[in-house]
Amino acid sequence: MVWSTLEKAAKYLFKRPYTRMVPKSEPPFKTDHTRGRHILDLNKCTGCSLCKMVCPANAIDMERVEVEEGKYPQNKKKIFPRIDFHKCTYCGLCVEYCPFSALLMTNVTGFELFTTDKSTTLKHPQELAIPPKNRYRVTITRAMFSGILQKPQVKAKRKGGNHG
Amino acid sequence: MAGKSVNKPLMIYYGPQHPGAPGNVAYKLWLDGERVVDAELVPGFLLRGFEKMMENRTWEMNIVIGYRFCVEEPDSLELGYAEAIDRLLKYEIPEKAKWVRMIQHEFGRAASHLFWANYMSGSVGLRTTGFWSITAREEILKWFYKVVGHRIYHSYSVPGGIRWDVPKDFKEFTIKTTNRVEELVNDIESALLKNFVFKARTKGVGVIRGDDALKLGITGPALRAAGVAYDIRKAVPYENYDKVDFIIPTGENGDSYDRAVVRFKEIHQSMKIIRQAVEEVRPGDPWRIKLPLTVPPGVGIARVESARGEYMIHVVSQGGRKPYRVRLRSVSMPLMTTAIKHVVENEEVTIADFPVILGSLDPCAPDIDR
Repeated sequence: MVWSTLEKAAKYLFKRPYTRMVPKSEPPFKTDHTRGRHILDLNKCTGCSLCKMVCPANAIDMERVEVEEGKYPQNKKKIFPRIDFHKCTYCGLCVEYCPFSALLMTNVTGFELFTTDKSTTLKHPQELAIPPKNRYRVTITRAMFSGILQKPQVKAKRKGGNHG
Repeated sequence: MAGKSVNKPLMIYYGPQHPGAPGNVAYKLWLDGERVVDAELVPGFLLRGFEKMMENRTWEMNIVIGYRFCVEEPDSLELGYAEAIDRLLKYEIPEKAKWVRMIQHEFGRAASHLFWANYMSGSVGLRTTGFWSITAREEILKWFYKVVGHRIYHSYSVPGGIRWDVPKDFKEFTIKTTNRVEELVNDIESALLKNFVFKARTKGVGVIRGDDALKLGITGPALRAAGVAYDIRKAVPYENYDKVDFIIPTGENGDSYDRAVVRFKEIHQSMKIIRQAVEEVRPGDPWRIKLPLTVPPGVGIARVESARGEYMIHVVSQGGRKPYRVRLRSVSMPLMTTAIKHVVENEEVTIADFPVILGSLDPCAPDIDR
């Protein structure tokens, strides 16, 4: 009969709603590994374009920045990545492959990234270098990926032979 | 009324905007009165050419594309792609990575089954339990958010191990999540599976017997509900599935009700596997090995048991930075074509039963349009 359904439903009837009241009373759910908006360190970036090459969504391209003489000497061509957050999937591959830890990810996510003007989704290098206005924490850094990397061992033969 | 009509069958479109359609696919249904006499799949609404896209991108970039074949359960595909490349390179990945990959895989399966429970209870008109299953799924998504950083698309199992180390309170948090999920699943089970409306709508509906299911190429819970205890995790163990203790739940009749029961039992088995696997994850162990920049020529094949059945991912390398070919054996194609046709031909399926049967088979629309 339906009594078991009604019994369980009555139990849930008196419980607090599970829904999070975003954005009225609560911020988006954030954790230590939330992948959100990037921060670019202009003093570290050498303009090697690896982030552009590895981006699967094609959200990054390199832009030449006009700076005064003697600034950012490590970047000879003065090219820095600009990120289109309209295309970005927040996979973090750019952070993983940046050899100089110039890109970081913060936990600024959800409605904090919303905009009513589509032209503002493309962040130029100088804009990326400014930390977000909201309270934020750096979540994804290159150090997380290069913590322990062993040298691979080639194994003799794998069990479960019919896998090819 | 399901009766013989003098008119010729009426063709209607079911999907892709129909709320009962399982994703972005349509069906052409030929109706005689209320009875469905023939069903034909109309695919192609989600064709993005993923397999071709992967040939033009490097191995690392494909990690992020490889799991987009199935929205509801990306973890199996993610694991399959990583596993296939590990096999191609013939590397032994660290033990910790294997256990964490297994936990991710099982949580993904449970999340997929819970999402299915919402769809299924909706298709029989019992919306209450659907909300509870979404709550239980949300608990799993919170686990993913904490460990991985994303809710749906995780990109955490990568060739060579897992992407980054697990958080410090990994063990307690995982155990807490499994307990909470099981608590909710017990409630859903007693509310949904014992309900006489659900029984009346699903018992004896959409019967696929074991020998038929094997001939039709069906795998996964739909095959196990027909009484065939076939599971890649037991048949050809990958990762560390040969080191954990679990059973393969099977049904008897192969009808929609048995498929529902099997899926709920599988959630409990998944939680059991996770509790065993989390004991083996020790802080401080290595979790990833460095991969070479170029992949040598060769072939890698991985077979994984997803929530819907068996995925086979086949990667071919001719050397260099990009794969020559990435191919996927789709789970949903037999479910959406041969299985549905078999049921419609051998049974009096009314238009009201059609979403129930389709829901109980739980196909994933995007993986036929890859």
